[in-house]
This record gives sequence, structure tokens and C-alpha cells, in this order.
Amino acid sequence: MNAKLVKYLVGIVSVGLGALLSGCFDVVPMTTVHPVTQEGADIMTVYKITTWISVAIFFAVSIPICIALYRFREKPGDESIPEQVHGNAFLEFLWTVIPVVLLLIIAIPTWQVIFKQAKPFPEGQSLKVEVIGHQWWWEFRYPELGIVTANELHLPENTNITLDLTSADVIHSFWVPRFGGKVDTVPGHNNPMYWVTPTASDTPGGDYYQGQCVELCGLSHALMRFQAVIHKKDEFDRWAKTYNEPPKVVTSLEKKGDQIFHTICQACHAISGTASAQIPGPKIGPDLSNFGNRRTLGAGTLENNQENLFKWVKDSTSVKPGSLMGNLGLDDESVRAVNAYIRNSTVKVY
Amino acid sequence: MECGGFTFLEMMKPLAIVFVIAFGILAVCTRRDMWSWITTVDHKRVGILYGLSALLFMVIGGTEALLMRTQLLMPNNEFLSAKIYNGMVTMHGTTMIFLVIMPLSAAFFNYLTPLMIGARDVAFPRLNALSYWIFLFGGLLMHCSFIVNQIPNSGWFGYANLTSCQYTADASVDFWAMGLQVLGLASLIAAINFFVTILNMRAPGMTLLKMPIFIWTTLVTQVLLIFALPVITIALVMITFDRKFGTGFFNPGQGGDVLMWQHLFWVFGHPEVYILILPGMGIVSEILATFSKKPLFGYSVMVYSSCAIGFLGFAVWAHHMFTVGMGPWANAIFSAATMLIAVPTGVKIFNWIMTLWGGHIRFTTANLFAISFIAMFTMGGLSGIMHSSPPIDSQHQDSYFVVAHFHYVLYGGSIMALFGGIYYWFPKISGRYMNETLGKIQFWLYMIGFNLTFFPMHFLGVQGMPRRNFTYAADQGWNLWNLVCTMGAYMTAVGGIVFAVNVLYGLFRGKKAVGDDWNGRTLEWAISSPPPIYNFAVEPTVSHLDEWWHLKYDENGKRRPGVEIEAHVDPATIHLPGPSYFPILLAFGILLGAVGFFVTPGGLYVSLVGVVLMIGSSYGWAFEKT
Repeated sequence: MNAKLVKYLVGIVSVGLGALLSGCFDVVPMTTVHPVTQEGADIMTVYKITTWISVAIFFAVSIPICIALYRFREKPGDESIPEQVHGNAFLEFLWTVIPVVLLLIIAIPTWQVIFKQAKPFPEGQSLKVEVIGHQWWWEFRYPELGIVTANELHLPENTNITLDLTSADVIHSFWVPRFGGKVDTVPGHNNPMYWVTPTASDTPGGDYYQGQCVELCGLSHALMRFQAVIHKKDEFDRWAKTYNEPPKVVTSLEKKGDQIFHTICQACHAISGTASAQIPGPKIGPDLSNFGNRRTLGAGTLENNQENLFKWVKDSTSVKPGSLMGNLGLDDESVRAVNAYIRNSTVKVY
Repeated sequence: MECGGFTFLEMMKPLAIVFVIAFGILAVCTRRDMWSWITTVDHKRVGILYGLSALLFMVIGGTEALLMRTQLLMPNNEFLSAKIYNGMVTMHGTTMIFLVIMPLSAAFFNYLTPLMIGARDVAFPRLNALSYWIFLFGGLLMHCSFIVNQIPNSGWFGYANLTSCQYTADASVDFWAMGLQVLGLASLIAAINFFVTILNMRAPGMTLLKMPIFIWTTLVTQVLLIFALPVITIALVMITFDRKFGTGFFNPGQGGDVLMWQHLFWVFGHPEVYILILPGMGIVSEILATFSKKPLFGYSVMVYSSCAIGFLGFAVWAHHMFTVGMGPWANAIFSAATMLIAVPTGVKIFNWIMTLWGGHIRFTTANLFAISFIAMFTMGGLSGIMHSSPPIDSQHQDSYFVVAHFHYVLYGGSIMALFGGIYYWFPKISGRYMNETLGKIQFWLYMIGFNLTFFPMHFLGVQGMPRRNFTYAADQGWNLWNLVCTMGAYMTAVGGIVFAVNVLYGLFRGKKAVGDDWNGRTLEWAISSPPPIYNFAVEPTVSHLDEWWHLKYDENGKRRPGVEIEAHVDPATIHLPGPSYFPILLAFGILLGAVGFFVTPGGLYVSLVGVVLMIGSSYGWAFEKT
């Protein structure tokens, strides 16, 4: 192999490796290696230690293999028999002990983080949020604030949050990768999760962090996404205060939508401040209060705009297989009216 | 009948179709000799049947994988529907584990165990045939689901309560659960058979620590099967009772607990992982020793670490459940136990390297697969150590990182080893070599294709892509690596075709094999290729580990003159167990027993006919002259 070729190959390999690493560490929406919370950073510390040890072990294995394959390949025509070595007690002892030491280096920070993350906040010093998984959307309840919402988890910055996770149907798993690890929402169980939210940037409307269900939960498991939204403290307070205000119904289309909503839709959905929220018992569909402010619809399936909402309300299963709403048989005019009501009239400025 | 029922005729149609297909293939493969294969009790023939079935199921499981990868080729793809995709996810996992790796390992157990321990057959030859037919019928029952378009779609570990009548009303879960139930029976029967065979049938002089390492890993695998399978059997009975008789073991509304399923499943499921990898470890150990012309380095430590892996394998199941909310103490303890497994595994890896070290390494296709096993398995093991830490696991669980991890272990590990085993023992089994050039082409297509498919999945996992998603949005940064993964999968598919061509080439055109086809070390190489039906004319007497090598070479590596183990005995005087059709009848009874759970009305009577058939054929079996 001539020197030029070697140079060429080295070039290709280093460009390739660079591409690999940058691809791996891009700040994509669901990245696990760019945490924004202390919880995520703690995990990252253990992760880094483990990764470096793993890489070292990989080379400790692969380099001797390569050397052995090169040095001890059978030379053509060599029919001789190599020395029949049966073992070496010292070597075997050595590679029993070294892994034990390496594992301890991983195990100790692991245990520290496990116990640290299981520690609850002192009573009364955190905001409580109940997270309830549904096929295939998320319900968020703020018992202290009297707010029920869906698919967008609004939280104030730099605040202790105690999440209480459960499920209304099958097992789901609640995960915002940039905040830290996932916890399953298990029907019949309540799992706690503790977050200290990160500082919000100056973006009006808050910082959006993507989350998703990560336990196979039926047909549209892939379309069970959500957003955690971190607000400046005052912005969050305004959000919380205006959230339960009834929608402003102005246009005739919105009025018609109001009517249809309160004859058909309210069987499964509620909008706070209206009659639909007064009906007792749990709703099987997501709460639609302040829906006009949400960025997505169908649990993160589509962008929240007129066109997509039309498609969704006309026949939700065309967007999301197995969705319970399906085709309600509404004519186009009624669909537009409902959309105007839930999209336009619920926008609240905060 | 709570849910998922068919009328008798609705159920008979898919069964008839899969049976016609299966026995059609058998008829083509065996030509006019079909009846003798159906009634065979010869361990070698049963082994071939197992191997052939496993390879055919591999075509199905591989196709499912390709369909999934095609769907994920680009974001928001509409190649497969959500329902079909979830079905492919479930059946790819179930098929590859229960219908490919397990029976392919069983093929090697069957074919090689008696040959390697110097025995005429397994301890219970008819039981052996029975376990094959039960396995085949279980696999066929499961695949009936494709014909009625009710493909199981709740994942290969079928987490409750997604599998309940409320959330899966059709019979898809029943096909999965009853199929596994029947398959489990097959494995349990086979496990007891090999356990007894290895402990009782060894040639005189072959003490436990003179057994070939493959026999040791086989033995440990059987012990794991014997202890692990009853647990999944119970769990499947419970889910069937929940669905068919309205019990509420896994229904929180009735006071049941969905997490109980996970505990039961993984108490079986984790030892299962070692059931899948231990045979591969044994195969690789044999291949590396032969092609380095050196004994396995640290044989006794390899034996102890196999046992340690098997033992620890029962103490780590809850590491699959770090995110379900078991609390910090359970997570910490199961994490420690999991890390411990890395110790015996690491010892094995270094001992394999030292087996190569100082040898004269021949780069045959079999050896290439075995060497790649060490590297790929190491990578799978290292990502496994990452997951053993619950905080890291909470970021990786159910993401593509985990998908990458277990494919490195089960595909880069088990499947690569099993392919190595096929290339290694093919001349022994068929009497002809496979083509080395085609073999090497297949190896490189597999090696590159495999890494192209699964290495980028680590990146996808780090970038937070969840597994089992039939679609993904375009703005997540996952597009490129998914494209690369899919290209890798197609490359592997080409490798699969090359393998199929090579098998046919080997069978019809391959270079003739004689007996000691690779200058082997263990007893199966002492007899002709293919072996005579009675294996050894005279039971060999063993004095050393690697007995055949010791017969050929003295302590200084000098070839001894004139090795002859084949004594001349008139084959007619050797008593062999006669053919029997009771095993297939009994297996059919068991199938009918399972089918009854699908039929409504009158399912009970179908099952009872099955029971009558089971009792009748057991009676005939017991009094059959052999």
C-alpha cells in the first residue's frame, strides 16, 4: 500500500468519524446528551464514565484480536502444530479482577444517582402535577391550581416539580429526554418523579422541550407525543390565571361551533368556564381549554393550523389510526364552525 | 369465551393452509422419503428437521425486519399501516427468538450431542421427535394469525394489560400466547431429554470436565430451560384465563396487577437471553480451537463461567423494569447483580482471544463468523453494561439504543455464531463442504450490513428515537441514520440470498467431505461424513479432553501413525430404535388442545378430542415395540 493511498484512507476515516460524532451529538429535539436539568446532568455524569470505560474495554479487546489475527495467521504451507497451551491461571485471575474494579467505578456513582433521584422534595415546596397516560395522549392536572390540560405540560422556570404518574388504560412511559430519564405510567400504580425545571429563555410563549411515550401502548403508540413548556415565572402565573377563563365567542361561526361543541363534543371533551366543564365524571377525550394556544394537535401528531384541524375533526383516524373520535359524520360547514370555536375563541393572551 | 373466538370452520381454514404449506415443503425436501422423515426418531434427522424449519422461519422473520426497515426508510412513510407495523415488530421478535435462534440451537444440540459424547442416540429418541413436531405445530399455529389478518401486535414481551380483552379484542394475543405455550412445551421436553442424555449417555471415560465445551454450554442451556420455562407457562396460562374465562390476574380493575406480568415474563425472559447466547458461545469455542489448532484457552474457567452466567441469569430479571417504579433499593440491587454478569462474560472474551493467540489461524468462513462473534458480542456486552446502570437505562430504555444493544448480542452474537456453526458442521451433516468463496461473500455482506444497520441505532437512541414506532416526524434529526440502517438491512438480505445459494451449492455440488473435515478435535470428526445411522460402530473410550486430537497427535504435536476409531462391526447387529408415528400424533393432539381455545362454540370438545388423541397416542407409544 503506498503512502498516498494510506493518507487518502486516513482522510476518509477521519471525516467519517467526525460525521458520526457530530451526528450523534447534535442538539436534536429528543437528544439524551444535552440535558437542561440537574437530574439530566447527573445521569450524564454516570453516562460519561460508563461510556469511556466501555470504549477503553472495547479497545482492550479489539486490539489484541487484531494483533492475534495478524501475527498468528497460518502461513501458507505451514502444516506444523502450535504449542498446545491449555490456560494460564495468573492471566485468568487478572481478567477476573480487573472487570470487578471497573464495575465498581461504574456502580458507585450509579447508586448515588439512584438514591438522589428518588428523594422527594420537602412537603409544600414543590408544584404538584398529575400525569395521566391515555391511549394515545397525555392528561396533565394541576390540583393546586385547578387546571386540567392535555399534551402541553406548562411549568414555571427554576421550580421544584413533583410529578405523580399513572395511566387511565394501558402502560405508557413518560419521557422528556432533555430533562432526564423516563418513568412508566402504570395503571393501578402511582409513580413519583422529581424535576427542578431549567431557566427559561426570553422567548415569548416559553421554551418547548419534546417528550414522547416510550412504551408500546397500542396502535398509535408512535403518535403519542407531548411538549414540556418552561415559562418565565410571571408568564406562567399569567398562563395559570387566564387558563380557566371561558372562550370569547364573537363571530357567528364561533357561535355555531359553540352550539355543536355543547351538543356533541362535550360528551368527551371539556373547555373550562363552559357548561362542558360542569358535567360530572372524567372525560375520555383531552381537555380543550386554551386549545388555540397549543402548537400541535392530536398529541403532537400535526401542527395546529386550520387545515390540519379540519382534517382531524373530520376524521381523526385518517391522521391517527385507532383514534376513538373517528368520523363523527359532521358536514364540512359544522367542522369549520367547531374549529373556529375551539381554535379561535380559546386563544388567550398571557 | 370472553374474546377472540372463531367458529370451528373459520379456525380450520388457516390451519389447513399452513399445514399444506409446511408439509408441502417437507414433501419437496424429502421427495419420496417423506413418511420415513415423519416417523423418524434418529437424532440426526430430527436435528436436520429443526435446522431446516428454523432457516425457513428465518426467511419469514427476516422479511418482517425488511418490511419494518422499509417503513422507517423515511419520515412519515406510509408503506405499512400502524397495525401491520406493530404486527411486524411483534412477530419479528417472537419469530427470531422462539422460531429461529432456539430451534437452530436445538438443531445443533440434536445433531451433535450424541456425536460429541460418543453415544448412539439421545436418551429418549421418540421424545426427541415429539419435541420437534410440537415445536413445528406451535410455530404453525402462531402463523395462522397472518392468514386471518389478526397478527399479534403487542410486542414480543406482550405487556399486560395491552393484551387484555379490553385493549386487544381480536384473537391476535391468543395466537401469540397459545403458540408460545405450545412452543414452550416443545423446549421443555427437549431440555429434559438433553439433560438426561448428557448426564447419562457419555462414552466411558468422558468425565464432566472432559466433555467438549459445546456440550457444557448445551447442558447449562438445558438447566436454564428447565427452570425458566415453567414460569412463562404459568404466565401464559394466566393471560389465557384472563382473556377466555374473565379472571383478572393482570386487570387493575379486578384487583390484579399489570406489573406481575412483567415480573413473570422476565423471570423467564432473562434466562432466555442466556438460553439464546450460550449455545453460540459453545459453538464459537469449538470453532476457534479447531481453526487455531490449539485447545480452548482456560477450558475449566470457561465451564465455570458458563455455569456462573447461567446462575446469575436468574437474579437479574428486574433490570428490564428499572423504569416501572420499583423504588431505589430494588433498582440498586438488580443493577449490582446485572453488573456481576459482566465478570464471567469478560473472562470468556479474553479466553477466546488467548485461544487465537499463539495459534495457526485459518481464515475459513466458519472461523470468520466465530471471530466476528467475539467483537460483536463484546460491543453488545458493553452497551449492556451501560444499561445495567438504572440512571443511564432511564435514558435508553425503549429507545433505539436498546434495539442496537440486543441485536449486537443476539444477531452479532447468537446468529453469527450459528452461521459459523452451519459452515463448520455442514460437511459433517451433508457429506459435502459449502463453498468458501460464497461463504466469505456472505460473511462480509453480513458483517458490513449488520454494522451498517445496527451501529447507527446507537446514535438514534442517543438522539432519543423510541423503538416500536411505526412512524417518526421529519424534524427530529433521525432521517439520515434511519436511511443508513435500512440500507444495511437490504445488504444483509443480499447476504441471506448468497447463503441460500451456498446451501444448495453445498448440497449438490460441494466438495466431498470425508470425516475429519477440518482437522477437528472432538469425537464427531472421528467418524465418516455424513455419519452412519448408528454413529459409532463401537462405543469409544475417552481418556482426554479433545479426545480425537489426542488420538491423532502426541504431546509434541507429532502425528501418530494410523488412527482408526471405526471398528468393523456388522451394522445389522446394532440395535437402533425403530421409527414411530406416535410422536407426531401426540403432537397433533396437543395442537388440537390449543386450537380448542380459539373455537366458539364447542371449543371444549375440540380440546377434548385433542386430549383423547394425546392419551391414545401415549398409550400406543408406551406399548410400542422398539
